[in-house]
Amino acid sequence: MARSAKRLTVGARKALWGWAFVVPALAFFGLFAFYPIINALVLSLHSKNVLSLRPPRFVGFQNYVDLWNSAQFWNSWKATGLFTVSTAVPLVLVSLLLATLIVSRLRLQRFFQMALYTPAVIPGVVAAAIWLMLLDPRGIANQWVNFVLGVSGIDRKWLASPDMVRLSTVLVYFWGKLGFFTIIFIAGLGGIPTSVKEAARVDGATGFQLYRYITLPLLKPTTLLVSIMAMIFCMRTFSTQYLFTQSGAPREPINVVTLGIYTTAIRDYQIGLASAMSIVLLVVMFVLAFLQFRASRTQDG
Amino acid sequence: MALQTQQVHGGGTRFRHTPVGVMGNVLGWMLLCFAVLLVLTPVAFMFIASFMPARDILKLPFSWWPQTWYFENFWHAIQGNDGRFIFPRALLNSVFVAGTIAVTTVLLSTMAGYGLTKLRFRGAGIVFMFILSTLMIPFETVMIPLYVVVTNLGLQNSYAGLIVPFLLSAFGVFLMRQSLLSFPDELLDAARIDGASEPGIFFRVVLPNMWPVMAVLAILTFEAQWDNLIWPLLVVQSSELKTMPLYVVTFMEEKSTNEGAMVAVAAISSIPMLIIFFTLSQYFLRGANVFSAGKE
Repeated sequence: MARSAKRLTVGARKALWGWAFVVPALAFFGLFAFYPIINALVLSLHSKNVLSLRPPRFVGFQNYVDLWNSAQFWNSWKATGLFTVSTAVPLVLVSLLLATLIVSRLRLQRFFQMALYTPAVIPGVVAAAIWLMLLDPRGIANQWVNFVLGVSGIDRKWLASPDMVRLSTVLVYFWGKLGFFTIIFIAGLGGIPTSVKEAARVDGATGFQLYRYITLPLLKPTTLLVSIMAMIFCMRTFSTQYLFTQSGAPREPINVVTLGIYTTAIRDYQIGLASAMSIVLLVVMFVLAFLQFRASRTQDG
Repeated sequence: MALQTQQVHGGGTRFRHTPVGVMGNVLGWMLLCFAVLLVLTPVAFMFIASFMPARDILKLPFSWWPQTWYFENFWHAIQGNDGRFIFPRALLNSVFVAGTIAVTTVLLSTMAGYGLTKLRFRGAGIVFMFILSTLMIPFETVMIPLYVVVTNLGLQNSYAGLIVPFLLSAFGVFLMRQSLLSFPDELLDAARIDGASEPGIFFRVVLPNMWPVMAVLAILTFEAQWDNLIWPLLVVQSSELKTMPLYVVTFMEEKSTNEGAMVAVAAISSIPMLIIFFTLSQYFLRGANVFSAGKE
């Protein structure tokens, strides 16, 4: 080995070592990323019950047809869609506003960043558990909302009425992710060259004009990144909804796709159907990310 | 990648002295303080309520300071409802699982990133695209097939089953590759001329110089795993193997859990990450930046 290695040129030896450094990663992604996806594609064409010893039975596209005809599946997409839109849009807008405000402070920038980021380091299940108490009929949420509205003793049914349960999951998620996106926006704002702003200022732009016509357009890559990330994060939401349903909130309004996949596979033992649901989720996320990416391209001309 | 702390200087200072500017400035401060207050309320509630007996926690109006400090909750939380001390074990399990994953992710990602950038071989571009394409696969879409794979390997309900699917991340490889692109070749060549072997160069030259990015990756990975509920929920059944998020869910479902013990479990589960956050905050704030740097 040593002798043959010596005969190789320096470049070839480096290339060999290059392979050696990369092979563990290749093997890993092959086995734990690509193989499962292929496996999911194959399984989604089969009927397979976890409990039965019978091998998977080939059923063609029957699982997809079943999904198409399943009211529950459409409902879970409605739940995911509503959740994603009503969480991601406020997330992007509010984090942009907060980042803009923080960046224009001369003091305490770091304090505000850290304070807003704190919820992001609270584990998701813990966040959900705490919010379940805040949203309890006897909890602080009722107390504060009633105080602001100047009434007393009204139960807002945060965890009981379908729309309010949706809103509650949005609140939990929004709270947890706000600081994260604020910080990305702060980094984006910091990346805008001051020379451009100075030039606009010399030309007589006011603060608002400067923000509207210089800062926002230059911030577009960050805004795009944040919106795609927010959307993809929201579509992947699981623990909040899981904890809410486990603690007795109505399942139907918050039965998001990930929760649907989990229950189909684990509670109903239908691996084939769950795989088909996973593939649909994957395709939808790909398409959305691609469309958003392209929209940004064409606008730039 | 530039990893400086972000003291960003925004616009608007020039208008500070006009009446509109002053008002806007004051409004900005008020909005920010209000946002911080709202955001920190649940955290404050958690810590204050953990020192209250259960009957005081869900009481209208909530008193924002305990009348008497009540420590029973923590004892109840640590013992668990059955007195078997599963909770401390779950915390240790989480530290072990998330820690192992953080170490292997950093090491293997740096290795792969180094091989892809500094030991160029034919096909490196394709290999990188292959790895990058898995970045687009969200975990939730592969969890069921992955569960099938792990079960077939006989790893369900074991530490290996919890750890193995996360040994390495595409994001990690991507991050380390981008960071290593700007690593000076002169350093590597100098070591080669001195007769160092390639593994030697990697461990003695590359690793010591990459630690800031590695620390960011380690923290991001640890945080993600510390928070992982769905995978342990799929693969773990026995209570000895439960990680913290899984334990929190189980504890909440148990009939004899009261609000006091629940909120104490929540507080204890939050403390490790909060301590890490407050001592290493710059890495967390950089960590979020890494995502925005990744887009270029």
